Amino acid sequence: MQIAKRALFAVAVIGLAARPASAQIDLSGIWAPIMHEDQAERAPGPEIGDYAGLPITDAARSRGLTWDASLLTMPEHQCQPHPSTYGFRGVGNLRIWVDQDPQTQQVMSINTQIQWMEQRRKIWMDGRPHPPEYAAHTWQGFSTGHWEGDVLVVQTDHLKAGWIRRNGLPLSDKAGMEDRFIRHGDLMTHISMVYDPFYTSEPVVKTNGFRLGLANRLDPYPCESVTEVVRAKGAVPSHLPGTNKAIEEYAAKYNMPVAAAAGGADTALPEFAAKLKTMPVPAKAK
Amino acid sequence: MKRLTSATLKGSLYAAILTTATLAAQQQAPAPAPPTPRAAAPIDLTGNWVSIVNEDWRWRMMTPPKGDYTSVPLNNAGRAEADKWTEAQDGSCQAYGAGALMRMPTRVRISWQDDHTLKVETDAGTQTRLLHIAPVGSAPVEPPAGAPRSLQGYTAASWEFAGRGGALAFGQGGGGGGGRGGRGGPAPLPKFGTLHAVTTNLNGGWLRKNGVPYSQDAVVTENWDRFKSPNGDEWFVVTTVVSDPKYLAQDFVTSSHFKKEADGSKWSPSSCK
Repeated sequence: MQIAKRALFAVAVIGLAARPASAQIDLSGIWAPIMHEDQAERAPGPEIGDYAGLPITDAARSRGLTWDASLLTMPEHQCQPHPSTYGFRGVGNLRIWVDQDPQTQQVMSINTQIQWMEQRRKIWMDGRPHPPEYAAHTWQGFSTGHWEGDVLVVQTDHLKAGWIRRNGLPLSDKAGMEDRFIRHGDLMTHISMVYDPFYTSEPVVKTNGFRLGLANRLDPYPCESVTEVVRAKGAVPSHLPGTNKAIEEYAAKYNMPVAAAAGGADTALPEFAAKLKTMPVPAKAK
Repeated sequence: MKRLTSATLKGSLYAAILTTATLAAQQQAPAPAPPTPRAAAPIDLTGNWVSIVNEDWRWRMMTPPKGDYTSVPLNNAGRAEADKWTEAQDGSCQAYGAGALMRMPTRVRISWQDDHTLKVETDAGTQTRLLHIAPVGSAPVEPPAGAPRSLQGYTAASWEFAGRGGALAFGQGGGGGGGRGGRGGPAPLPKFGTLHAVTTNLNGGWLRKNGVPYSQDAVVTENWDRFKSPNGDEWFVVTTVVSDPKYLAQDFVTSSHFKKEADGSKWSPSSCK
């Protein structure tokens, strides 16, 4: 009987050793965004008319130029959170936690919450399919995830119409995103790849960092809309097509060609840097 | 619940004995040599790549004006040094050192110089970096004694394999294999991972073209990761941490992404001064 027990123990040990290793890595904790890149866009906010480097379509540019920053003073817009396609580059700490089935310990979902406007996102990890197109579209969208090695890869759709950049560059409700979370010790690199059949000519790929901190906090962020500006009923701040000179003004302010400020996939390529020196720059307004 | 029968126990016993004998035979065989870093590479970084500059556009595609060090955590000494820059210095090779080279608008050509060394070339500034990668399970490569300081410094690198929390000792297997190797030697190395690189022996340089400095005391730590976008394009991202006790109040962290190109036909070397 003693031999039999030892044999069973050996089999059990061998069985454990042969079990497929779990590739997942723990992302749990509160992460602070590192604002060393695109800081001017991400913290104070982008300048109006700055589309440089973004692979936008003509439709996106035209629609962007109808946007007026006063829109953000309207009660309907004051408490809008960022969509998940933009929030990870915004301000506010990020908390990540895991929901597991209490009996099986299977990971059901990985959840993220960004402090600003309480952006809560659920990333389903249980293999469920995405819902049909007619299902509700939300700010954070519907997300499912899987692991590629130690990298969490997430697919998101069912988004509300949002923005590529919070200076009016639009994103349609047909947009989607694949994002990746790569942890290197206390640093995490987040990669977002946003694509839109209407407003991007190729995926908008952005990468930025977070740092894990044991003392990091996530405070509440209640928001209540108020009347900031009294307007006539139905009035919506906007610009009619052809009337907004924001791109020209931004280009003049920073001594760059209008074609650079106007964006497009070619403006992100190294050869565009060489062309800059040969292109006319608009005169600064006096 | 199924009861343990005598036959079940016998079967288990035979399996255990057979496995133990196999393991013992493996232990007596001479240990195979660890694979070279080239053979062990969990990701393929070789090829022609182009930086996609859609972040910090104004600070990377153009030379920012003097004194514009937005988002760089300079200390007072760093600001004082940055303020010495003059427009006549624009185009200096100081901006193409290891601390900032991967932030440049550039094409990058990556190839194996030998089985232990990854060569990273940029057409911007016509620079070459050599990443000296340690064999799997070995300590990082040390700079040769007395190695001179240089713009690109000395880079000691290692593969970090997925599924094992980083570095992997040869023979540990991993990434779905688990445990020591089974039949025929060690388990295959994981196909996911990161290239971790640490660069020292720098002679200082600029984080931006307008003279935002890092000193010769700086250490540049990088993680290189590959990924694919939904439209099938291949990418890598290098996360760069510049630590400099002389000019930075805290680590300067950026991540720069590059898209793979079919060939090197757009390679266009430019010089720096």
